[in-house]
Amino acid sequence: MIKNYFKIAWRSLKTNRLFSVINIFGLSIGLATTLLLFLFILHERSFDTMYGHKDKIFRVLLHTTEEGIETWGQVPSALGPELTEHIPNAVKSGRILQNGYGGNAFIKVRDKVLTERLLFWVDPSILEMFDVKMLSGIGAEALNKPNNILLSESTAKRYFGSENPLGKTLSVDNRNTFEVKGVFEDFPDNSSLNFNAVVPFMMRQEAKHPSWGNASFETFVMLNSDKPNLGAIENKLQSIIDANMDKEQQWYTFSLQPLKEIHLNSSAYSDSYLENYGDIRQIKNLTALAIIILIIACINYMNLITARSQKKAKDVGVNKTLGASSKQLILRFYVETGLITAIAMLLGGFFSILILPSFNKIVNRTLEVSSLFSLEILSFLVLTWLVTTLISGSYPALYLSRFSPKEALKPSSNKGIMTSFIRKGLVVVQFSASVVLIVAVLVVRQQLEYIQNKNLGFNPENVIAISTTAIPDFATNEALVNAFERRPNVSLVAMAQGFPTASVSLNSIYKPNSDVGMSVNTNLAQHNIVDILQLKLLAGQRLPELKQNGDSLVEVLINKTALDFLGYTPEEAIGKKVDAQLGNNSYICGVVDDFNFTSLHKPIGAYVFHNTARKGNYNYLLVRFKNGVLMETVSEFENTFKDIAPNSAFEYSFIDKNLEFFYQKEKQMANVSLLFSVLAVIVACLGLFALAAFMAEQRQKEIGVRKVFGASVPKIVQLLSLDFMKLILISFVISFPLAFYIMNNWLQDFAYHINIRWSVFAIASTLSLIITFFTVGYQAIKAAVANPIKSLRTE
Amino acid sequence: MIQIKDLEKFYKTEEVQTIALNKLSFDVKEGEFVAIMGPSGCGKSTLLNILGLLDDPDGGSFMFNGTEVAGYNERKRSELRKHNIGFVFQSFNLIDELTVFENVELPLIYTGVKPAERKQQVEAVLEKMQIMHRRNHFPQQLSGGQQQRVAVARAVVNKPKLILADEPTGNLDSTNGNEVMDLLIDLNEAGTTIIMVTHSEHDAKYSHRIIRMLDGQKVTENILA
Repeated sequence: MIKNYFKIAWRSLKTNRLFSVINIFGLSIGLATTLLLFLFILHERSFDTMYGHKDKIFRVLLHTTEEGIETWGQVPSALGPELTEHIPNAVKSGRILQNGYGGNAFIKVRDKVLTERLLFWVDPSILEMFDVKMLSGIGAEALNKPNNILLSESTAKRYFGSENPLGKTLSVDNRNTFEVKGVFEDFPDNSSLNFNAVVPFMMRQEAKHPSWGNASFETFVMLNSDKPNLGAIENKLQSIIDANMDKEQQWYTFSLQPLKEIHLNSSAYSDSYLENYGDIRQIKNLTALAIIILIIACINYMNLITARSQKKAKDVGVNKTLGASSKQLILRFYVETGLITAIAMLLGGFFSILILPSFNKIVNRTLEVSSLFSLEILSFLVLTWLVTTLISGSYPALYLSRFSPKEALKPSSNKGIMTSFIRKGLVVVQFSASVVLIVAVLVVRQQLEYIQNKNLGFNPENVIAISTTAIPDFATNEALVNAFERRPNVSLVAMAQGFPTASVSLNSIYKPNSDVGMSVNTNLAQHNIVDILQLKLLAGQRLPELKQNGDSLVEVLINKTALDFLGYTPEEAIGKKVDAQLGNNSYICGVVDDFNFTSLHKPIGAYVFHNTARKGNYNYLLVRFKNGVLMETVSEFENTFKDIAPNSAFEYSFIDKNLEFFYQKEKQMANVSLLFSVLAVIVACLGLFALAAFMAEQRQKEIGVRKVFGASVPKIVQLLSLDFMKLILISFVISFPLAFYIMNNWLQDFAYHINIRWSVFAIASTLSLIITFFTVGYQAIKAAVANPIKSLRTE
Repeated sequence: MIQIKDLEKFYKTEEVQTIALNKLSFDVKEGEFVAIMGPSGCGKSTLLNILGLLDDPDGGSFMFNGTEVAGYNERKRSELRKHNIGFVFQSFNLIDELTVFENVELPLIYTGVKPAERKQQVEAVLEKMQIMHRRNHFPQQLSGGQQQRVAVARAVVNKPKLILADEPTGNLDSTNGNEVMDLLIDLNEAGTTIIMVTHSEHDAKYSHRIIRMLDGQKVTENILA
């Protein structure tokens, strides 16, 4: 019997080729996108799940209590050792510090100079907590002694080729020499923690003299239970703070974040050395998108099937007359649907393999084809197949098989009028979803455009930043400045600790004669920084020339936000003493207008440039070019750099490119939403096309009658299209407020954002009306030009 | 009014060609009532479709009011049809979604009659067909006889010169059938030409002339009046 059903199903697919192709194609697109999104979601959710102690490991978060509350992923160095001492549940704790507080390390292996992004100063317990697997040499114990280094397998290959790295030496930033003591397995792609090289934290000044001030240390703690009483532990953390700091000095609190939540729930936190942060909101958006697309595809299928129901109904009538039971017919329809969804599934799998490389680029991951064959994905496929079959097969199975044979065989009975309401409803749902997606794509694009064109308060174009972290002496730095300044295309060169988009020091600035403080970014810079960044000077003057070593006078150039916090007018502020933790002898020399030194997600904070006499702390040379950055000049720089500072590697970046990095997630989201919205709209159009065919078929007799009594072709086309236009208009009523609500919420994540304009809705509606007209128009014209005698012929 | 000469119509499927009309010729004068009879598949309906300008002949000549219309395109046929020809079908072919009034109004909308005038004309014809009291009902709410009366009303509302009736009593009992035939006689007496396809000898007797067909050809012609 079942074999017979398959035979019928297969033949019916073959005889209705156009419908079958549309049907299977639409469904397979839906399934392919769902599959890819599921694969991505699965990957994102798999972060850090490979660690044996994953449920017991927590990261300590710091919450600032000053104005503009923030959460940081880093805490002061003094906290780490206190954790195991004062918290009974804490088994292990450890700190990590990226070299140069998040910068590159310059590695010298024999005469080779290499740049290393992932060199970390680490407590040995970290390796134990995260089960770092050693491939050769010793592991955690190497970090108990100074000048030992552990390398990952691929890094060891990069440094030493095929030679055995054990026992070899290398130097870091021309300051320390290390001996390779062990090689560990590379961290997997889905690990938040990722080290290429690990050196002992105990060598750091911050380990020898831990402080409660500088919060730059990512700190992890392992507890003895996976269901700890976090409230009690946080109280303990507070008592640790109380024991070490006066109440009025306290500017933060601590809390614990489970390891498994780090990847997806940290994108709003600043200051972390972990990479590859995902975003739970993105996952939620994508999940919603996947569900919407699958629903659209299923609705399609149902509409396509009902488009043929009139013919099928006759089939049901004949079968019932010949003795088929309702049950048998239900089974038959499910078999048919199951067959179609199975074909669509295979095709969808094939599509997803085709799209995977481009998808990887969009989401910035390296998902592999092989992972499509994992148990999770296969069970997901089976489940999706079942759900899709049940959802989309139920209408034909349960509705059509209920007909009595007499009713089903009657040539002009009104089968389907009752359900036309539901069907129309489905189209409205489908189109509302498509319109929401179109609006979303438009808003995301406009916001990105806004960000890219927003006046940032400084000019990031034509400026490069050359890293000088590995050049400790001021004289070499100065030699470089002089050499670079002589190049004809260069307008200005300055040394600076950091620059907008790059990290600088985080201090606190206090109101005059008060304990009320606010976080402030402090940047040690040379006098011409204002001209290099093209900042707007509101009052006072540029930073004076450098101080001599030992000069305690510090001059400070503050931004408008800091000025407003202090409560001065620009002119008043000049010459005032200020406490920004830069020494007791700091005075304001000038005020610059606000500029966006970090992403537009965040409002502008307080920022100061200063000229403290600590000459070693310049990390960059900022170079402004006259007319565009010439790559020849940059390669000349490289040669000059190698001549003057042979022990350091030449590393540079463009500030405007760094800015783009801030909006990578949004760009990614924009591309993903564009791709899938286009697909969703295509699938929805296929459904509309089929529904138009169905309606034309159902109204065949009416069209015939109207034509016989004189209706022209345009009149008939109008009649049929108008029906759909009405549905589309209803979907506007539903989708516009929904889209507005969703996208307005999305925009709130940006401190600086566009307002959703009416034009967005106008474009979306025009677009959908045009699409509808073309999709429906074809069927309408086809129905209108058909010869009416065919539909009016009596049986 | 109608002159057809050597009219031919073929139906082709992938393998076989069926001859529906085989060099058929006859005339119909204005004001005549002609019945066409014959077994199923003899070509009656095909003939009626061609006479109603719903279908094209494959050969021969078809003069309507002295003009050759065999080669007319759809637009011209539609124009000619909506001003000159009314149709009555065996299965009524009323539009289920429209009321009695709206169904009858349809041909007037397509010929561009103004709303006020339409109302007047529709009401007049509904009155004449004695279904005025049903004007706001939907087709499903009417008996077969009433539905056919609506269909006749729709066919005549435009005051066509020719009415083509395809087994107008085929779906009706004898009482209702007779009523419909009486309506057609009345229309004919008022001057409308009627061509009716029927299986019923009883109905055929109402006509002036019976043309009998077989295999697409005219077999006999009986003049009754």
